[in-house]
Amino acid sequence: MNIGRHAAIGVALLAGGFLVTACGATANTASSSSAAPGGGASAGASATPSAPETGNPGSAVTLNEDGSSLIYPFLEKLVDPLHAAYPNITLAPAPGGSGKGISDAAANTVQMGGSDAYLSSGQMSQYPNLLNIPIAISAQAINYNLPGVSLPSGQTGLKLTGDVIAQIYEGTITKWNASQIAALNPGVTLPSTTIVPIRRVDASGDTFIFTSFLSATNSQWKSQVSFGTTVTWPHVGTEQTGNGNPDMVNRCHATPGCIAYIGVSVEQSALSDGLGEVELGNAAGNFVLPTQSNISSAVSAGAGSIPANLAKPLIYEPGADSYPIINFEYIMVQKNQSSADVALAIRTFLMWAQSASGGSQSQYLGAVDFVALPSTVLPPIQRVIAEITG
Amino acid sequence: MLVRGRARGISPSPAPAGATAGRESVTRWGDRVTHAVAAVAGMVPLGALAFIVIVMVVSAIPAILFSGTGFFTGSVFSLGSVYAPPIHHHGLTAPFGASYGALPLILGTFVTSLIAIGLAVPISVGGVLMLSEWLPRRAQSFLSLFLELLAGIPSVVFGIWGVYTFGPFMAAHVYPLLTGLGTVIPWLKGPVGAGQGLLTASLVLAIMVVPIVAATTRELVRRVPTLAREGALALGMTRHETAKVVTIPYVRTGILAAALLGWGRALGETMAVLFIIGNVLNGYPQNLYLSANTLSATIAGTLDGALTDSTGTDISALAEIGLVLLVISLVTNFAGRLVIRRVSDQALPVGRGV
Amino acid sequence: MRHTRGAIFWLLCAIALAVIVFPLIDIVVTLVRVAAPLLRPSLFATTTQAGGLGVENGILGSLLVGAGVLIVAGPIGVLAGLYIAEFASGRPRALLRFFSEVLSGVPSIVVGYVGYVVLVKALGWGYSLLAAVVALSMLILPYVVKNTEVAFESVPRSLREGAAALGLSRLTTIRRVLLPPALPLIVSGLVLAEAIATGETAPLLFTANWSDLNPQLGLTHNPFGYLTGTVYYSFNLPSKGEHQLAFAAALVTVVMILLMVIAGRLITMRARRMTANLEV
Repeated sequence: MNIGRHAAIGVALLAGGFLVTACGATANTASSSSAAPGGGASAGASATPSAPETGNPGSAVTLNEDGSSLIYPFLEKLVDPLHAAYPNITLAPAPGGSGKGISDAAANTVQMGGSDAYLSSGQMSQYPNLLNIPIAISAQAINYNLPGVSLPSGQTGLKLTGDVIAQIYEGTITKWNASQIAALNPGVTLPSTTIVPIRRVDASGDTFIFTSFLSATNSQWKSQVSFGTTVTWPHVGTEQTGNGNPDMVNRCHATPGCIAYIGVSVEQSALSDGLGEVELGNAAGNFVLPTQSNISSAVSAGAGSIPANLAKPLIYEPGADSYPIINFEYIMVQKNQSSADVALAIRTFLMWAQSASGGSQSQYLGAVDFVALPSTVLPPIQRVIAEITG
Repeated sequence: MLVRGRARGISPSPAPAGATAGRESVTRWGDRVTHAVAAVAGMVPLGALAFIVIVMVVSAIPAILFSGTGFFTGSVFSLGSVYAPPIHHHGLTAPFGASYGALPLILGTFVTSLIAIGLAVPISVGGVLMLSEWLPRRAQSFLSLFLELLAGIPSVVFGIWGVYTFGPFMAAHVYPLLTGLGTVIPWLKGPVGAGQGLLTASLVLAIMVVPIVAATTRELVRRVPTLAREGALALGMTRHETAKVVTIPYVRTGILAAALLGWGRALGETMAVLFIIGNVLNGYPQNLYLSANTLSATIAGTLDGALTDSTGTDISALAEIGLVLLVISLVTNFAGRLVIRRVSDQALPVGRGV
Repeated sequence: MRHTRGAIFWLLCAIALAVIVFPLIDIVVTLVRVAAPLLRPSLFATTTQAGGLGVENGILGSLLVGAGVLIVAGPIGVLAGLYIAEFASGRPRALLRFFSEVLSGVPSIVVGYVGYVVLVKALGWGYSLLAAVVALSMLILPYVVKNTEVAFESVPRSLREGAAALGLSRLTTIRRVLLPPALPLIVSGLVLAEAIATGETAPLLFTANWSDLNPQLGLTHNPFGYLTGTVYYSFNLPSKGEHQLAFAAALVTVVMILLMVIAGRLITMRARRMTANLEV
């Protein structure tokens, strides 16, 4: 009898859960998201679009986003202010990774994909309706864990060039006291610790910009490995891999001798974990840290112009202070949306996100150490945003 | 008595003798519909299995054509880069640098699961014997609840526990001791790494399959005829000898079946391994402590990247991995079930824990 | 000598027992310890939206997909188990039972792959409740089938004979005679299958994807959150709070599964006692 009551309670709980769920669902009603595969409707419609039309859509729209775990914390910051500015737009980001950002947007399983990497030419020709639209600028730090190394005054991290880092990831430089490293760091006593290169296992925009940098600075890397969100890494006996940026930090923290590439948005936690930050050799031959001003220098040097398809690397840009690994953070989106309201919501979000009074305020960007898009690139970007129609 | 009472009680409308023909045809019609609906439902599991196998085979065909036997002999598994010009091979296109050599993944899968089951079996048998011989009955039923709960811990929870607590603890306190065995087993020589790698994954898998093996063992030990055991004790055997001579031989075949099922689970286990094993795709670890990879973790870890490949060969390569995993899992499961059939027609735990 | 060897043997056995018992305790202790700062009522009333540290969307999604799995795999599994136990015979019966059991050996990541390729993409359902429910149903179907089968087979033969003697039709026999005593075991099978579904991650990653919002209305094209996803995604995010959230969500998942396991066990015990009463 007693047990019978337990069973009844169990069933009641299940039923109750179902009801609660149903209520939760109705509270959020927004049957917006049945995006149909691109039908190619707006091909000839746009002659010379002016500023994209924006505004609060007539019905509630939920914008599901999936993609880069670097963009995710930034988008989370934008959810509430966006909703406050446009009550009918709900942004729902997910941290599935850049690879998923691109493929989900291409497959239309989400309205927007987030990626640290632009579309490849193969992807652009396979998905002619898929747009990649910059919303901010990020940078990447190179970190290491080498206890007990004292640096000369004025130097806050070991100095390395892309060429040397490429040799580390190729396995030709294996010890921290290798002559190539010593030559870049006069006056530093380097230990003979074995280098443990750590790299990402998932398809990652961080891998994309890191290998782009290595390709720009080491010709052997460029011809044999090339660059991408995934690449065929040379086999190094001591290598380790991380799944996502935080995992890179944790692993490097736990592994003396490691070197790792880490997005600046988690650089705070890397530094507070006691990791060293590499002073990276730039195109002008100077060694620089990923500070806001060094990143901005690189932005003004490299982001002055942008091609019509908006796919633009920002690696190894000229300029005395330019930090050499920066990139546009992209939102991938289909030109043709299922309804006018969804298209309006996407255009509105993208325009708002770049506006200095909207998403591009330092309180949002600064939280993840992103930098706002320079005003010079806004007109071509807005031309592309205007192509999004329902 | 009770049965009759029950039967009467639950049949308010038994067709009285000489019921109308119409009524009878209704019941027969009802019977037929029930039979047909149940038969269709009965086919669903078979259909689902066939569906899964067909989808995996069809998806894997391009990769099978692309790499041929290289899939089983190559030691580099890489999706390549979609940002460089694609490569052509056997009439198929794949991203630059793509290479689908799955040997390290196949070996990683076998090594981790075999270490896991190799540890789980003696642990389960030892633990259950200890319990059944020395501890009170109450403790035994407590243990079976305990095992059900352990089986209920989700894979992903084992994953974060392995990364956060178990791995670092082993790397700091246990692995350095194990390196002492390096002279006997060269794979146990240092460096021990940070606690994420082949051995940690194997140990966590062992913990995960213990419930499957131990629950079966407990069931089997319970069925050992009391007469045989007491006879052995009466002959002056110690409990240890009784266990060795009577209990263990009696349960041996059943444990083999449980081991096969547990092995099947360890082979296919994904989330925990994804967190713990270190996910290296292009080569072999120099010892048991360092990063490796398995078939299942590779699918979970690289599917997002494979999906960005516009040639479609990357995703097909993952299907081939899935197909190999499926075949291995089904064969072990198959074998386990055949052994069970021989031991008993009773239901033993089904393959997966919770 | 005999006794020393015996002592060593039993010592090893004791260690083995400790090895079985210790991890579960350590897992629970770790979860509670790390999650402690978040263990307050608001955990259940907060979604992960906008950086929120809560499990509301995860729990609602898990309950929803659990209910869906019950609706899909429940009837099919029970009917299939009924067919194998009561209708099929001989070779077909052995084969159906065998393949249903073999289905339980399919790795969950393979189901995830199939779900993504076929349900999400080819059928165009997108990340959705429907895709997640169908994928998870394939996983748990064998358990429902097996438990139903066992439930019907454990009904005493005398009951069937009684029914036959009364000239009851097949349908009536099943409904009025076999089902009542079999029901508790069937229900406990469903509860345990539900526990399995609650703990799965891999198939959901590629069929439900993820959403910070509470589940929305609509069977297709609606990604949603689930508890194991809260664990997986939050663990991979940088902030300390999100790290704690991963452990809090893990704890909630474990407690939910624990309750289901205990519920299933109580129902089974009741069933055993009932069947024992029925034996003559």
